[in-house]
Amino acid sequence: MSFSFTYEEVIRKPNPMAKINPLKRGTGKTVSLQDRIDKLEQAAVWKKAMKAWQIENKKVDIKRMPKVAMVKLGQIEIDEDIQRQLDEKHCANKIADVQLFDPALLQTLQCIKTSKGKYKSVDGQHTASTVAGLISAGYFEGVTDWREFEFPVQYIETDNLAFARRAFSILNGKGKKKQSAYQQLRNAVFIVRIDKDKTDDEDVELEKKVAVAESHNCFPVEADSDLAKYPGTFTNIATFKTLNESELEVACGWHNKYFHYESAHVSLFFIYRDLCRQFDSAKLKLTPKLQEELAALVQNLFGNLSQFQESVTEAHRRWTVKRYGYQANWDDDAYACALIQLYQHFGGKEKVAPTLLDHFDGLIEFFDEDILNLA
Amino acid sequence: MYYFYLIESLGGRAGFGIAQDIKERNKQYCSHAGGIVKMQVYSGLRAHAKALERTIKTQYVDNIWIIEEWKTEWLNDNIPMSELKEYVDSLIAERHFRLKLIVPNYDFTQGNIEEGKLNESS
Repeated sequence: MSFSFTYEEVIRKPNPMAKINPLKRGTGKTVSLQDRIDKLEQAAVWKKAMKAWQIENKKVDIKRMPKVAMVKLGQIEIDEDIQRQLDEKHCANKIADVQLFDPALLQTLQCIKTSKGKYKSVDGQHTASTVAGLISAGYFEGVTDWREFEFPVQYIETDNLAFARRAFSILNGKGKKKQSAYQQLRNAVFIVRIDKDKTDDEDVELEKKVAVAESHNCFPVEADSDLAKYPGTFTNIATFKTLNESELEVACGWHNKYFHYESAHVSLFFIYRDLCRQFDSAKLKLTPKLQEELAALVQNLFGNLSQFQESVTEAHRRWTVKRYGYQANWDDDAYACALIQLYQHFGGKEKVAPTLLDHFDGLIEFFDEDILNLA
Repeated sequence: MYYFYLIESLGGRAGFGIAQDIKERNKQYCSHAGGIVKMQVYSGLRAHAKALERTIKTQYVDNIWIIEEWKTEWLNDNIPMSELKEYVDSLIAERHFRLKLIVPNYDFTQGNIEEGKLNESS
């Protein structure tokens, strides 16, 4: 039996992302705060919020605004019922990392100031402890006593510990807009590309990975971005980052060669990460013939990887119910296993890593009949 | 067998969708519209019908008719049916979707598509 499918070429059209890729370079644009206010005031969501303020007739008491002062570290108290236990590893390996520590990046401590004049830390105990520890160890030039060292503190005056507790929760995540994985990636890329700063190995490595993807017309974009409609874009940054450069080279190369007209589905990264690693362990090569036949299989049976994902997810659900009697959680390893098992089912003759055939044994029997009957 | 269809509302709005039971789907449209609504029906593999539907949703993302933040499967007024048809036919041809146009002007009074022999349109 020869392999059942042939890949049919799809005419390549110019991809707008080549010109508008936001990671290619920064915008170089600086805008005034007025620009942001104008945008805000036009947004329906802002208008709705302002309506609520109007209904509540709420006015801001500016006396409650936080104040900033230089406070001696010796005056800071840590309420253990509010702040977490000290994470020594965080202090030693993250903040005090000898390669990364930069005093210019230290952030102000967040405190409440009680009516008795005591400063109780709400956020920043790890920073304060690390600074005090470094002074104590003699690494702050010209400073001998950490207790006398003045550090910037942002505080509000209150005796209300409930407020402090709520503030800790807000400052540590709840109510705060977190940086998305894409924003973190963009920062790393811009540090290398725009600022030409290659001092952080992680930033350099990430930029290289993005460059590999871009060289194959694959582009990371923000989740829900308007750009996600363009070919080659992908939003699952976390999975992308788990592949090394050579794995990305193969994965993005395959996408660009055979599915250049589609966005890069997240299963691409799972599939190629597993194929590369399993084939490597088995000392086998992912031959061009195998890669083309896999593309033919996806194109003919599913149309694209997005539909492959839908079908394999359903097959996996049925497989776990039959095998274990209940619906087990989805396992990302199933992508590559299913693909290779389908490949053999449809007469693929290239050598494949045997581990991919053993794992999820019999999974493909649970694909829809109209798919399996195409053999 | 699975179906992808194009549909034009009685008011002339272009729409699209997928269905396993195309007769029942057309019946539902007619029931809600209060009149016979015609469909251009393609058949083929379910995965390909879905892939085509998703591609349209992605490419027409700026032209999907949205009512109070609800994304419908209808297009904005400015997209004529002829444009959508042309786009779908070119997508099927260019991307080699395993879908074939089987009835250009279907409604449920014509009977079951699966049985092959359709009645005259009412």
